[in-house]
Amino acid sequence: MALLTDTSSSAGAVKSRVVRQYNFAQTLPALLLILVFFVLPVLALLLRSVMEPEPGFGNYAELLGTTTYLKIFLNTFIVSALVTVVSLLIGFPVAWALAIMPSRLSTVVFAILILSMWTNLLTRTYAWMVLLQRTGVINKTLMGLGLINEPLPLVNNLIGVTIGMTYIMLPFIILPLYGVIRRIDPAILQAAALCGATRFQALTRILIPLAAPGMVSGALMVFVMSLGYFVTPALLGGTANMMLAELIAQFVQSLVNWGMGGAAALVLLVVTLTLYAIQLRLFGPARIGER
Amino acid sequence: MNNFTIIAALAATLGVSTAASAAELVFTSWGGTTQDVQKAAWADKFTEKTGTTVVQDGPTDYGKIKAMVEAAGVTWDVVDVEGDYAVQAGKAGLLEKLDFAVIDKTKLDPRFVTDYSVGSFYYSFVIGCNKDAVSACPKTWADLFDTAKFPGKRTFYKWSAPGVIEAALLADGVAADKLYPLDLDRAFKKLDTIKADIVWWSGGAQSQQLLASAEAPFGSFWNGRLTALAATGVTVETSWDQNITAADALVVPKGAKNKDEAMKFIALATSAEAQAEMAKGTGYAPINVGSPALMDAEVAKSLPDQQTASQVNADMGYWAENRDAIGERWYAWQAQ
Repeated sequence: MALLTDTSSSAGAVKSRVVRQYNFAQTLPALLLILVFFVLPVLALLLRSVMEPEPGFGNYAELLGTTTYLKIFLNTFIVSALVTVVSLLIGFPVAWALAIMPSRLSTVVFAILILSMWTNLLTRTYAWMVLLQRTGVINKTLMGLGLINEPLPLVNNLIGVTIGMTYIMLPFIILPLYGVIRRIDPAILQAAALCGATRFQALTRILIPLAAPGMVSGALMVFVMSLGYFVTPALLGGTANMMLAELIAQFVQSLVNWGMGGAAALVLLVVTLTLYAIQLRLFGPARIGER
Repeated sequence: MNNFTIIAALAATLGVSTAASAAELVFTSWGGTTQDVQKAAWADKFTEKTGTTVVQDGPTDYGKIKAMVEAAGVTWDVVDVEGDYAVQAGKAGLLEKLDFAVIDKTKLDPRFVTDYSVGSFYYSFVIGCNKDAVSACPKTWADLFDTAKFPGKRTFYKWSAPGVIEAALLADGVAADKLYPLDLDRAFKKLDTIKADIVWWSGGAQSQQLLASAEAPFGSFWNGRLTALAATGVTVETSWDQNITAADALVVPKGAKNKDEAMKFIALATSAEAQAEMAKGTGYAPINVGSPALMDAEVAKSLPDQQTASQVNADMGYWAENRDAIGERWYAWQAQ
């Protein structure tokens, strides 16, 4: 994509325009599919949010004026932020190790990462349930070793949601980070060492700043994906840690209140699109092309 | 779900079931072991008798029913729903009136019959306990709400529905005949006292898993799930003290494509034989008064309809009236 947006010469610009138009024609069927099966239904849902039960913005007033719903918004942000931070803390060392380990080994690690992504989401979440519950493997082992007397509350709360979602989000942060870190010339780190930088200095003043674009873009992606997550919080969280997607499902399925459901969905959509726009602006294809 | 069912369900969803629709019917229920039995006891028999293929779909989704009726694209012909929803949806114009010329309601338990619905099966919320996991089992709702006498996690049904609020009020000493209208303030105050010790179950299978693993060694369960769990070898104690009954109902969404077939299906499903088969397979009680006579005495004895001594009937009419208001308050309380 960087090549397509190369505007360094006028010949390149003309060629790029032609290529773009050609590419656009190819995307038409996919766009049409998205329009009919995604954009139109979403618009219909949003329309309901201002039409039901009566025309106006009553649903939005209730949504943004009720403490319970505000708490759910806040909780959604807290969980997403927590998952993002923990994913970064775990993902960065893994991505770094992947970038410097021999390729035969890194192939294996990649295979593990990808395989975990291919496994059914529900299966993986249920597995965590079995591991984390009071009578689960982790608590039984810890109690067997005499490290704890009472089972730790690891599930049906914020801890459970964070563990389960971090596990699912890790590949989404490791893969982009790996791409960025691999492009960093190892010679730079050697040069730093030769100039007397300690390993810690090399990490904080060279590696992390150079990897920062990958970290920020990966983190934003994980954050945005977490905002709309449903299955994992529903199974591993308690009702006191409800997230926005669960609230939407509850409005539509249990309370059969499409108006409120649509309003909550629009709020989620606006927040998500805003963050995505920020990501595009900071790290989008155009910016990469400029470098 | 086999490939044929998937294709048929897809076809039904897209509204292209043209020629086939004459001999086809879509039945929607909650999945799991209950729907398996409904298929064997009702649908397969219906196909045998009439030649009409019954396509199984699910799970039941009230949002979907509303959307289908409003969009005039109803693809479900017979749906198993909760009793209070049936009353509410009937009033809201989402359901077809049932044809009692086809469905014989004289033998059906009148508690579960309305113009728009008949009972599907009825069940009780009972107190279940994993005897191997604890030294003593709670016997009454008051016991289940007593965290000093019975410390540990307890599990309750997650969704807003008849059952938990009634249990809280009974535990707080409200007389069974004075339950309605429900004193919600009092119920939530009582629930607050055990909130930190509640693990919610959102489906029957999960409730069994929680009890079997002793993650929550006791709680409130659908009686049939305890029967099924006991059959797998888990030592389950069931207390029927003040068991709270609620029923599922069979309804036909307004504008269903195979309305006539749907009426015939419901007629068969509520017949004494079909209800007896259903009860044998699930541990839920039949709504046809002729069924118990057709059943093994042992089985009949284990069903909620034999546990009437201290039985409490959830008031479906009250719930239908107040379903939305209670629901909003319930979920807000849970999220606090």
